[in-house]
Amino acid sequence: MTDSKYFTTTKKGEIFELKAELNSDKKEKKKEAVKKVIASMTVGKDVSALFPDVVNCMQTDNLELKKLVYLYLMNYAKSQPDMAIMAVNTFVKDCEDPNPLIRALAVRTMGCIRVDKITEYLCEPLRKCLKDEDPYVRKTAAVCVAKLHDINAQLVEDQGFLDTLKDLISDSNPMVVANAVAALSEIAESHPSSNLLDLNPQSINKLLTALNECTEWGQIFILDCLANYMPKDDREAQSICERVTPRLSHANSAVVLSAVKVLMKFMEMLSKDLDYYGTLLKKLAPPLVTLLSAEPELQYVALRNINLIVQKRPEILKHEMKVFFVKYNDPIYVKLEKLDIMIRLASQANIAQVLAELKEYATEVDVDFVRKAVRAIGRCAIKVEQSAERCVSTLLDLIQTKVNYVVQEAIVVIKDIFRKYPNKYESVIATLCENLDSLDEPEARAAMIWIVGEYAERIDNADELLESFLEGFHDESTQVQLQLLTAIVKLFLKKPTETQELVQQVLSLATQDSDNPDLRDRGYIYWRLLSTDPVAAKEVVLAEKPLISEETDLIEPTLLDELICYIGTLASVYHKPPSAFVEGSRGVVHKSLPPRTGSSESAESPDAAPSAGQAAEQPAVIPAQGDLLGDLLNLDLGPPVSGPPLAASSVQMGAVDLLGGGLDSLMGGSGFTAPGPAAPAAMGAPLGSGLGDLFDLTGGVGTLSGSYVAPKTVWLPAMKAKGLEISGTFSRQVGSICMDLVLTNKALQVMSDFAIQFNRNSFGLAPAAPLQVHAPLAPNQSVEISLPLNTVGSVMKMDPLNNLQVAVKNNIDVFYFSTLYPLHILFVEDGKMERQMFLATWKDIPNENEAQFQIKDCSLNADAVSSKLQGSNIFTIAKRNVEGQDMLYQSLKLTNGIWVLAELRIQPSNPSFTDLELSLKCRAPEVSQYVYQAYDAILKN
Amino acid sequence: MISQLFILSSKGDRLVYRNFRGDGGDDVTDAFYRAVTSLPGDQAPVFMAREGQHFVHVRHGGLYVGATTTADTSPFVLVEFLNRLVTLLREHCGTLSEKSVSVNVALVQELLGEMVDFGYVQTTATEVLRSATHGEPETTKAFSLLDLRSVGLFGAETQQSRVAPGSVTNRPVLPPRGEQGGRREVFVDVVERLTVVIAANGTPLKVDVQGEIRLKSFVPGACELRMGLTEELSVGTEEQCGYGRLPLAAVAFHSSVDLEEFEQERVLRVTPGPGEVTLMRYQLAEDVAVPLPFRLLPSVEWEPAGRLRIHLKLRCDLPPKNHAINVVLQLPLPREASSLAQELSSPEQTAELQGGGRSLRWAIPRCQGGAQLGAVFRVQLPPTPPLGLGPAALTFELPALTVSGLRLRWLRLSAPPGAPPGPPQRWVRHLTHSDSYVVRL
Repeated sequence: MTDSKYFTTTKKGEIFELKAELNSDKKEKKKEAVKKVIASMTVGKDVSALFPDVVNCMQTDNLELKKLVYLYLMNYAKSQPDMAIMAVNTFVKDCEDPNPLIRALAVRTMGCIRVDKITEYLCEPLRKCLKDEDPYVRKTAAVCVAKLHDINAQLVEDQGFLDTLKDLISDSNPMVVANAVAALSEIAESHPSSNLLDLNPQSINKLLTALNECTEWGQIFILDCLANYMPKDDREAQSICERVTPRLSHANSAVVLSAVKVLMKFMEMLSKDLDYYGTLLKKLAPPLVTLLSAEPELQYVALRNINLIVQKRPEILKHEMKVFFVKYNDPIYVKLEKLDIMIRLASQANIAQVLAELKEYATEVDVDFVRKAVRAIGRCAIKVEQSAERCVSTLLDLIQTKVNYVVQEAIVVIKDIFRKYPNKYESVIATLCENLDSLDEPEARAAMIWIVGEYAERIDNADELLESFLEGFHDESTQVQLQLLTAIVKLFLKKPTETQELVQQVLSLATQDSDNPDLRDRGYIYWRLLSTDPVAAKEVVLAEKPLISEETDLIEPTLLDELICYIGTLASVYHKPPSAFVEGSRGVVHKSLPPRTGSSESAESPDAAPSAGQAAEQPAVIPAQGDLLGDLLNLDLGPPVSGPPLAASSVQMGAVDLLGGGLDSLMGGSGFTAPGPAAPAAMGAPLGSGLGDLFDLTGGVGTLSGSYVAPKTVWLPAMKAKGLEISGTFSRQVGSICMDLVLTNKALQVMSDFAIQFNRNSFGLAPAAPLQVHAPLAPNQSVEISLPLNTVGSVMKMDPLNNLQVAVKNNIDVFYFSTLYPLHILFVEDGKMERQMFLATWKDIPNENEAQFQIKDCSLNADAVSSKLQGSNIFTIAKRNVEGQDMLYQSLKLTNGIWVLAELRIQPSNPSFTDLELSLKCRAPEVSQYVYQAYDAILKN
Repeated sequence: MISQLFILSSKGDRLVYRNFRGDGGDDVTDAFYRAVTSLPGDQAPVFMAREGQHFVHVRHGGLYVGATTTADTSPFVLVEFLNRLVTLLREHCGTLSEKSVSVNVALVQELLGEMVDFGYVQTTATEVLRSATHGEPETTKAFSLLDLRSVGLFGAETQQSRVAPGSVTNRPVLPPRGEQGGRREVFVDVVERLTVVIAANGTPLKVDVQGEIRLKSFVPGACELRMGLTEELSVGTEEQCGYGRLPLAAVAFHSSVDLEEFEQERVLRVTPGPGEVTLMRYQLAEDVAVPLPFRLLPSVEWEPAGRLRIHLKLRCDLPPKNHAINVVLQLPLPREASSLAQELSSPEQTAELQGGGRSLRWAIPRCQGGAQLGAVFRVQLPPTPPLGLGPAALTFELPALTVSGLRLRWLRLSAPPGAPPGPPQRWVRHLTHSDSYVVRL
């Protein structure tokens, strides 16, 4: 017969023909017809129309035919559940068949038919089959429980199948045990808390016995189950290890790896001083090495796992370097993995050998592999210090080949070597510069530019070289542009005289002609640094860079520990924990290594395994490429920036403004005090604001900064007070008002016995504590005092309203002065009015009480205004945008309970400044003037 | 565990498909084919996570044999199983090809049903499957000329005196039911793979010999097989290795091998059912001096205008009665060569440029032990600075020879009671082939 007859297209006529053949009386013809149906089904053709005809063939004593029909049923039952019911009787009957093959087949097939009605009929036959006399039937039934659980977990529990399954762990047939373990393990996964497998020393013993007898695949189920067991002490761990070790010489690599997994995990519990530990360690190497002679696909999987193992326990394979040497006929993916492991195993002892290999690889044909090999040479140099010199000379040899991609890779890694061993190999720069023209890859260009910039003082024509790159600035990739900018700034700082033009050119290219925000911002930073303080710029830009250390791509230790637990799962191939790639319902249980028993070991980290080569390597992971570009930015942004600079309310630190306001604000900013302890000042505000939070647009930007504090001014000059000079200001911190004073003794004699008193004033301000100057004030000495105030003193309306008359006494005399306090020190933290209340109050206050003011040339936008004012307890209740102008509605309350309502209209006057129009309404209109002054002071500073 | 299993033709057509766990869509084979054909060159194809699925596959005979799986499955189980499946399909269908698989779909499906239940591998043992399956294989006509994979191991020209008939092993191991006999034959192959790196000065940097003893039985029923190995064999390094010893660094045996007589007499005993099984895998200890089959003596001269004159002398150091076949030398060139002129010592040899002129290929069909072959090549390269030639790589097969010296001394078969009279035909073959034989220049 010919094979083509199965594969002609199923036209209508053909289905018809098959139908006829299926209903034929001749057994042979029937069987051939079913085979044809299966063939069509397998290649994806729809033959579901033949369902009744195929099911009719089910009652047969020909086992082959029966199998084929069952296969058909499994495939189509789900789409034709009603018709599938017709098959149930045959299934149930077959489960009682004297032939164990047929019993097993029936129960196996029924479990695969995911139709609820059929599942119901499955329970009784399954119960019988679980206790069948034939092990083949029992092992099939064990898996069937897992199938049923997948369809209907509740049913399995209700019917008590789980207990029967547990009993099967003690079955006399090892294959039944293995399948029961597999089924229980799967079911246990969906019930993480239940103690289904209930592993204890007795059951472990049974499993270990079955391990010696069952098939290779059954051994894997049992080993994988063992890996989840946590031995109670190191003695038990050792005895399990001893019984698992023989599996290491199994021919099936899956058995070997499952055994390795168990051993790696239980080894964690063994003391390293034990002789057995060393023996076991030695036994792990040969099976791993043997895996490397298998098919390339297996080799690949093995290499991915070995890669993890050598990071965790380099001592296992440290003498096996040679097996990782690349064979010329390895597939490329195997080659790349081997290369990676070679570098991980590289040590002083074997570096010469490794380097010789790598150099050979660099002359191979495959470009990807050659690149990797050149990079590997660089990684060796960084990893093994003693080899650095040899690596560099190898790289130079490779550069001499002038093969384009080899040269470029070599330059990239030499840059890394410079960063690891500064001032050691710079003599090679001349050779590198010769190859400037051949570089066409961004990474290599960037690396070369970095080198030129970093060593500008040693390269006579550095300016010419960089200038030549600058010509095509806009065609370069961002990486190169950023590097070029930095390099030219470095050059400028080293040779300022002849390169001024160049630096201006690059700064304007970066800041004005570029759309890339990274480039532009870095340009601005340099520009401002250079124009403000070239000395500081030098310190920042030419600062000593941290050395890059060790390998760049070690897996982070905690992840590595997790991955070690997943050896022999897909996670070990992807090098990602399952949580990173598992989708769907199956829960991911995070696994961890067991703690080591034995007290002397407990404090030791697992990484400190006794290895000569790696002992000194604490994995300091620094990303190689990004790091280089990022070094300047990291340094520049050293001082922490507390929030968006423009909205930084009253915090005025020079560093912050680097990013924002411009150079002029740097100058202006220096006069202000940074309110360090004032930070929690406004903490009370959100508490008091209550429901009004809904309208709290400023969202707490300003809440962490304190109320605005004016600079100190001289209140009492020395000449008027016999040598005592008093300067001061007022502040409000955490709801309390303070008078911050500086007393300076400009006389020739010591001053002591200070005291202070206030005259009656408009808001009843009075000292809350006596003026405390602890030691006598010596000549030319100053003392800073913060005097707490309250508002419970006597009240008398003053003119101007905020006038305060003060008397200060010392051992010499009594002195009088008066000062004006800013009204905002009286704005209380619960000054936020509810919106409805605001509207009602606004209407209620007569219009003649409204006062209008102008605040000119404010450099803030609405949000910044709002947050800045909130720092001083002026609360924004609502914000509206009317005809392109922002309107803020605000409220504040004075200590004496007077509410002031404000409407602030923000009009853009020119691009960078706005004019504010302030309307204040208050039942006591005389305060408006002073409130306006407070607004003005806060917003202008 | 295995969720779905499939075999696709090289063009992505579905030949076999089986869904073991009832999850996942039926379009998975299309998703797989899309993923495998669009894979970037620097990524390993073995495992792929695509469109929410994890794919694993191996390629054999141009077919994709693949599976989808869940994340917590052992990748070794998957790859081992797929490789076993391929072996089993060869045993049952004779060869593995698009044609043989599609003709035997029903049998393959029956096998899969016994091998895997709910994604758990149950068995891959031929004799177990034999007793549990009932389908009969449909044989396809042998087309061994096209099927390159069958050359070399089973059915190659291997032993001078007793040559097994060509493509004899490319038939199902199981004779049709009811027909007693067929040809009752047992093949035992000792196959070694040689990995060698020779430095530019001629000293060997690395010599690595891996070997395996494989058994393929066409004898129905169980018969006990005993084979004696070279007595000089020693395992492990703890034993003192005197002169003439043959130390092995690592040995692994198949679980069915009885080692009772191995320690004392180096005798393996096994009772195989029909089918193929690897009885023993071994690795020669590193410090053993293995006679290298080939030496390469190159001399390279740079002539003006980018012309490169390469004079290669290849010396075959095998004993005179042995020979090497299918010898191919690959020499990477530093630049794309534009033309090649050659002088070869015999007409059956050929030489050509490959890979767009990036490498030179010199093929020698047969080379007797002790022979020395010379060749002169002139290649035209772009005028750039001179640069070392890449390492030369040799591939070859050495029939009737194991470089380690491990041999089967004798092979005895005791037929089970009730077997037809006359001993089954026994074939013992030794073969070494190069895995990676690199000579640096």
